[in-house]
Amino acid sequence: MRIFLCLLFLLIPFSKSFGSDDIEQRVKTLEDFSKTQQKTIEEQQGVIDELKKSQRPDEGYGRQKTTAAGGLFGGSALSNPNISLVVNSFFYSSNISGAELLNRGIPGFTTAGIDRQKGFNLDSAELFIFAPVDPYFNLYANIPVTENGATVEEAYFITSSLPEGLQIKGGKFKSGFGRINSQHPHAWDFADLPIVYRAFIGGEGVTEKGIQLTYLPQLPVYMQLGVEALQGENEALFGPDAKSGPHAYGVFAKASFDFGDDSTILFGPSVLTGNTKTNSVAKGTEFTGTSTLYDIEFTYKWKPSKVRSFILQSEYMLRDQKGDLLNTALSAVAPLKRSQDGAYIQGIYQIERWRIGARYDLLEIFKNQYLLSGSEQAFGEKPWRATGDLEFNLTEFSRIRLQYNYDRSASDGRTNNEVFVQLILGIGAHAAHPF
Amino acid sequence: MIFLFSLTTAPVAFGKVNVVATLPWIGSIAKAIGKDKIEVTVLVKPTQDPHYVEAKPSMILAARKADILMYDGLDLEIGYVPLLIESSRNPNIQPGKPGNLDCSQYIMPIEKPLSADRSMGDVHLLGNPHYHFSPENILHVTEGIADALSQIDQDNANFYSANLTEFKDRFKEKQKQWSDKALKLKGKRFIAYHKYFEYLAKDFGFEIVEYVEPKPGIPASAAHIVRLIELIKQKKPDAILTTPYYGLQESESLAKKTGLKVIILPQDVGVTDAVKDWFSFMDQTLLLLD
Repeated sequence: MRIFLCLLFLLIPFSKSFGSDDIEQRVKTLEDFSKTQQKTIEEQQGVIDELKKSQRPDEGYGRQKTTAAGGLFGGSALSNPNISLVVNSFFYSSNISGAELLNRGIPGFTTAGIDRQKGFNLDSAELFIFAPVDPYFNLYANIPVTENGATVEEAYFITSSLPEGLQIKGGKFKSGFGRINSQHPHAWDFADLPIVYRAFIGGEGVTEKGIQLTYLPQLPVYMQLGVEALQGENEALFGPDAKSGPHAYGVFAKASFDFGDDSTILFGPSVLTGNTKTNSVAKGTEFTGTSTLYDIEFTYKWKPSKVRSFILQSEYMLRDQKGDLLNTALSAVAPLKRSQDGAYIQGIYQIERWRIGARYDLLEIFKNQYLLSGSEQAFGEKPWRATGDLEFNLTEFSRIRLQYNYDRSASDGRTNNEVFVQLILGIGAHAAHPF
Repeated sequence: MIFLFSLTTAPVAFGKVNVVATLPWIGSIAKAIGKDKIEVTVLVKPTQDPHYVEAKPSMILAARKADILMYDGLDLEIGYVPLLIESSRNPNIQPGKPGNLDCSQYIMPIEKPLSADRSMGDVHLLGNPHYHFSPENILHVTEGIADALSQIDQDNANFYSANLTEFKDRFKEKQKQWSDKALKLKGKRFIAYHKYFEYLAKDFGFEIVEYVEPKPGIPASAAHIVRLIELIKQKKPDAILTTPYYGLQESESLAKKTGLKVIILPQDVGVTDAVKDWFSFMDQTLLLLD
């Protein structure tokens, strides 16, 4: 056993030298191996870093496409349509008594008076609701809520994917006739309508059930053409009893040019024509026949910056009526054929958040008489009115207005001095007003 | 009739692609990618405040003829772009179509409030929309614009791709120059007129400590000015940042009262002759901040 162990001990140095070669070899192998491992790790780390970097675009700088789902007006109109509420309230004062105001028509033009209370008025709290229905239609509704209840003033669709240039609007909507007719009262430049509107169309404007087709051709200048087929329920112009079925039609064209960066003009003719049956010609009468209302509008806007602008606007209207006038008390009928006109011109200058405006209304521009009960009456003084106003817009959503009217449109020798202090406030998502 | 319909539904085959961009920087980026194969119309002038643009009939007409409408998004243009799109009667640019390009889908918005209402002023609910001041974001927008152009005009996809590579190369060069500038800007503090420069502050390491507008879109009251003067005395910021057409007078008047410097940064491409395209816009901005 001891000899064996000695022999073993003897062998150790041998094995050591063998081993040291072997060990060195093995160490070297190990070192080489670890070097290649290191290299592999570094390469793999490089790949991981690359992957991390290339992943960042999806994280945050993502292809979110949220606005596509959100539709036309931003945000998510999928579950909630855009809703806004505009409250138009004013304090009204006049030297004429309330009862007289209601009956204060414009002789020869309209029996409709001024339907306003002296004192605090809530014109309306108007709900505007709109959203895309689907890729084919956008839906709009305008629901004024007054103390007497809610009415659907407008509820219409607009097509969004007809072939180029065409668009159809249908339902109950404000006609594209004229400049002011399609504007909502909270967007008006004054607290009330020009006298020509009250004289020929009435305070509610031409808001009818029907269908409208407009076309915007690809021309070097902006030119919009439109035709309308309407039910014809406007009390002043047509009347629901004039004929069964749609009995009013409209045609209009609006052109626009830019002059430089700061100036734009918009102008064009409009026509409304149809069957009429109305009591508004004169007290105790009923007119049955046809009416055609022509309009030519002109607007000039100069806006060099957001804090300064000037708008000059004017419309001239001519109404032709032909038919029979029934005097209800006498049961006498006489033919009535007449042609009447009127116009307004207004200018508004804006500086910072203030706007100052002036307006002049005149009826029967070219003639000195008007027809009533088959006989010519002299005007004496043509119906006219002058208006001045001052507005302060705290933000785009709130507006205060002070307006004074010197109204001589009732041709009775008296002046109606009117003062308005108006406050218009809006909340919610409201579509932008057109030019 | 069938011929007419096929003309209207055919993709752009003849003539240049008609690009309508709302803001000047978008038009400039589109031009860099599309070059002579596209026709660019920009709706907003560099001198206009982009928050208050009214849709003129001439803009509606431009949108009518567009193959693609590109806009900043994040509700900056909510006052006119939806109206333009509807009035244009152009089926190509309706939402969801390839001709309707919201550039903000490619960026990472900052300053998205958790909740907001209008008592806070004219707050941007979807985030700060002035991301054209951020190089990293603009790179992604440029890629998106190249994609969109290639989708609309497949025949020239390689051309747009090549121009995108060219843009990226120039971008890499410029980034080196800009990061040198960034070192000098790190830690500086400024007062700004409006919340215009937040992306710039984030990317280049400086801080905006207060605004001349007490709330976005609300002009400064006398009381707020007094508060600002106190703040300036205490915190001693480096300068007041403003743009030439929005807040210049108010900023200069504040500067006179406090002895602070006013730095007038370009609000967009084309404000001056020196700011011809987006690269020179960033160059000029960083130069002025020095």
